[in-house]
Amino acid sequence: MKILVCIKQVPDMESKFKVDAGGTWYAKTDLAWRMNEYDEYAVEQAVQLKEQEKDGDLTVLCIGSEKVKETMKKALAMGCDRGAHITDEEVSGKEPYQIAGIIAEYAKDKNFDLIFTGMQSQDRGSAQVGILVAEMLGIPGITTVVRFAFKDGVVDVKRELEGGIKACVSVNAPAVITCQLGLNTPRYPTLPNIMKAKKKELLSTPVQELLKVEARQETAKMYFPEKKGGGLVLEGDAAALADQLIKILKEKTAVLS
Amino acid sequence: MEFTREIYWNVGHGAETLVPMYLFAFAAIGLLVRGFLQRVKVYKQGLPLNRTDHLGKRIRHMVENVLLQKKVARVRWPGLLHGLFFWGFGLLFIGTTLIVIQADFTDLLFDVKFLKGTFYLLFSIILDVAGLVCIVMLAGLLVRRYFFAPEGLETRNDDAIMHALLLAILFTGFLVEGARIAVTELGTPLSFWSPIGLLVANTISGMGEGGLRALHKVIWWFHLLLVMGFFVLIPLTKFRHIFTTSTNYLFDDLGPKGKLVNIDMENEDVETFGTTQVKQMTWKDIFDADACTLCMRCQDRCPAFNTGKPLSPMKVVNQLGEVAFNNPEASLIDTFGKDVLWACTTCRACQEICPAAIEHVNKIIDCRRAMVLMEGEFPGEEVMTAMEATEVNGNPLGIGYAERADWAAELGIKPLAEDAEVDVLYFVGCYASFDKRNIAVAKSFIKLCQAAGVKVGILGKEEKCCGEPMRKMGNEYLYQSLAVENIEVIKSYGVKKIVTTCPHCFNTLEKDYRDLGLNVEVETYLVFLEKLLASGKLRIDARELSCTYHDSCYLGRHNDIYDAPRALIKAAGGRLVEMEKNRAEAFCCSAGGGRILAEEKIGERINIKRVKMAAETGAATLLSNCPFCLTMFEDGVKGAEVEETLKPRDIAEILAERIV
Repeated sequence: MKILVCIKQVPDMESKFKVDAGGTWYAKTDLAWRMNEYDEYAVEQAVQLKEQEKDGDLTVLCIGSEKVKETMKKALAMGCDRGAHITDEEVSGKEPYQIAGIIAEYAKDKNFDLIFTGMQSQDRGSAQVGILVAEMLGIPGITTVVRFAFKDGVVDVKRELEGGIKACVSVNAPAVITCQLGLNTPRYPTLPNIMKAKKKELLSTPVQELLKVEARQETAKMYFPEKKGGGLVLEGDAAALADQLIKILKEKTAVLS
Repeated sequence: MEFTREIYWNVGHGAETLVPMYLFAFAAIGLLVRGFLQRVKVYKQGLPLNRTDHLGKRIRHMVENVLLQKKVARVRWPGLLHGLFFWGFGLLFIGTTLIVIQADFTDLLFDVKFLKGTFYLLFSIILDVAGLVCIVMLAGLLVRRYFFAPEGLETRNDDAIMHALLLAILFTGFLVEGARIAVTELGTPLSFWSPIGLLVANTISGMGEGGLRALHKVIWWFHLLLVMGFFVLIPLTKFRHIFTTSTNYLFDDLGPKGKLVNIDMENEDVETFGTTQVKQMTWKDIFDADACTLCMRCQDRCPAFNTGKPLSPMKVVNQLGEVAFNNPEASLIDTFGKDVLWACTTCRACQEICPAAIEHVNKIIDCRRAMVLMEGEFPGEEVMTAMEATEVNGNPLGIGYAERADWAAELGIKPLAEDAEVDVLYFVGCYASFDKRNIAVAKSFIKLCQAAGVKVGILGKEEKCCGEPMRKMGNEYLYQSLAVENIEVIKSYGVKKIVTTCPHCFNTLEKDYRDLGLNVEVETYLVFLEKLLASGKLRIDARELSCTYHDSCYLGRHNDIYDAPRALIKAAGGRLVEMEKNRAEAFCCSAGGGRILAEEKIGERINIKRVKMAAETGAATLLSNCPFCLTMFEDGVKGAEVEETLKPRDIAEILAERIV
């Protein structure tokens, strides 16, 4: 069984973000980098599946500069068998359609039975790549998965929908699965596996060989949300305060309508 | 008339006595040696460890603790009883040996007798009194064990055998002596040099010479057989501690105190890390189990045990022994239990008090290493999150690494990257860098340095967690990655001296980093400030302060720094009321051993218990010297509901308020 898991290296969300000189993305200084949280669930699920299926072979794919290899090593240490590094110094300038195009181009002739990825990235948060890959490869794509089972070529998953509703979906492989918080608890790599990961295959391919699609959208501007007025403290007589509050709620919100 | 006595009186000097006696003796000693050789085989299942270097130092350490019973005597009453018994029995042993030497060697071969005259009188009275002391002390220990046993004291068959046999040996000895005196010495001045023997002689003298001689002969042989039985039983019962505990002092860890063994991460042939089986422990770890006398002192002081957690250091050591002897393939982690292993705060209270020089903490860390490095297991998800946060941002709090020096900006303190010309490097640590409460401590320390004219630099965002909590949790890999990066940065600036306000950083830089190539002087802020005060560079105003002081485990037991903090408190005008558990007996705050990263889910909260001890002193301020302690106490005063009356402070804070 051939499995692909696509991951992204993102800044730690605790970092101090600044808008870069171009004004369309964040500056890369003083950032700590890690694996996109949702991709960690994807890697964990892919590794669990590989462990379940005896003949599993798991490839981890990541697009970016040399630096993303650090994050790929973690995926290899968690249990991926080989790494496919797509070298691209300008990855942050590419929009989700291009990213999906690169992945689909890489995957199209490799007959992956299942492709896992995070349901979205923590930095761009478009949640587009997974489903676009499925579309481009012409296979089913199931998003926001919180429970996963695989047996005899059939994928049984639970998807998280809006408003606390879940949907159960069954589909035949091949398929693309995007993973949501709650699916699993990603493992902490063991030291022997960290050591082994250093020796696993990690091949780099220039992005030019795989980028066959044109961008369809472009980031016009990136900025911090404007600081709007803070809280409003009402003071005075309780009865008058109640009237005041009702007035505000009627005018500014829909809670009383 | 010259004072002496006939050796082998009544039993005879000839072959009819000597041949069976020596046959018994050789057989008994043979069995004793065989018993130990069998045990040595079990010790040898363990990994090699060199504990015979610096022999002179080791022998001195052993002599101090065996002959002077230094550590045994730390717990007053049982220690005193044991010490006096040890010396009494030792004198009896020496006395008996002298008799053997004279009767069967010097007299037999060269006609030389030395047990005569004044020496004999002294010999006689010393042995007599020693015998009495032994009986009284043994009786005292027996009464303690069987009638007033402290809670949790484990009494096994061994204890009954030991008490009965020793008392029987002592009583039969006096009976033999009494029978002899009744026949040969009654009414002579010599008899007064054996007061206890004389008392026995007077009691039994009515039997007449024939009866006394018969009694003497029978009891003499019985006494001999009992002593031979004692030899045989040494390796088979807790009597073995006579050899194993004393030898354990010879094999003791000569320090630096509590330094863990560095795992070689470069060696690619190694595939297992940490300890899951006896064969992955060292021989010394197995030997420790044989040196344990179940005295319970470790358990009595263990903060985990005393707050309802499943850990007892004594139990761990003994379970290890049981596995080594009976089931060497068994999993140590399953035997001990994971909750047991995670409960340890590495406070070292067990090791510090252990009268058998047993090393408890490293055994627990070795098992944790196996759980973390081989299985990726932690005591809880919060710990794994903290580990991952440290991997990403270099601190377990998960705050962006670039903000590490933000606290220092307003004080004009620059990272070495901007100005490396400094007197000292302040290795700030994670809590003083990011935690609001502890930033106040860092700022106080800087103010004190500035008042004393010391130019301080920091590493800023180049500093990473020292790795101590990770290492103690078993994550040796993460610790070493952090350590290597820190050491590289420190070295690149040619730092001459490092000062820390965190005892965990101090202990790690001062001891652990040496293995990875750091060779810069490291000092704790308390010693550093005390020197500044003594030299007159730092001047503070003594203003009265009602306080108690908590010795952190890592400045106290791990580094024996007890006086500098007290001197500083005194200089600041502190009226110090000590808690009952202070200095080497101090009770941990709960956060050592990486427990700062973990939630305390089992039993009573350790920090609340410690805060209550502080509150009992009636002091208004609880002083400490450690960011983990301070954090736990800020939480503990709320839990103990004393936040209005007891304020946790760091010593640096009260000093900074008193700068002249």
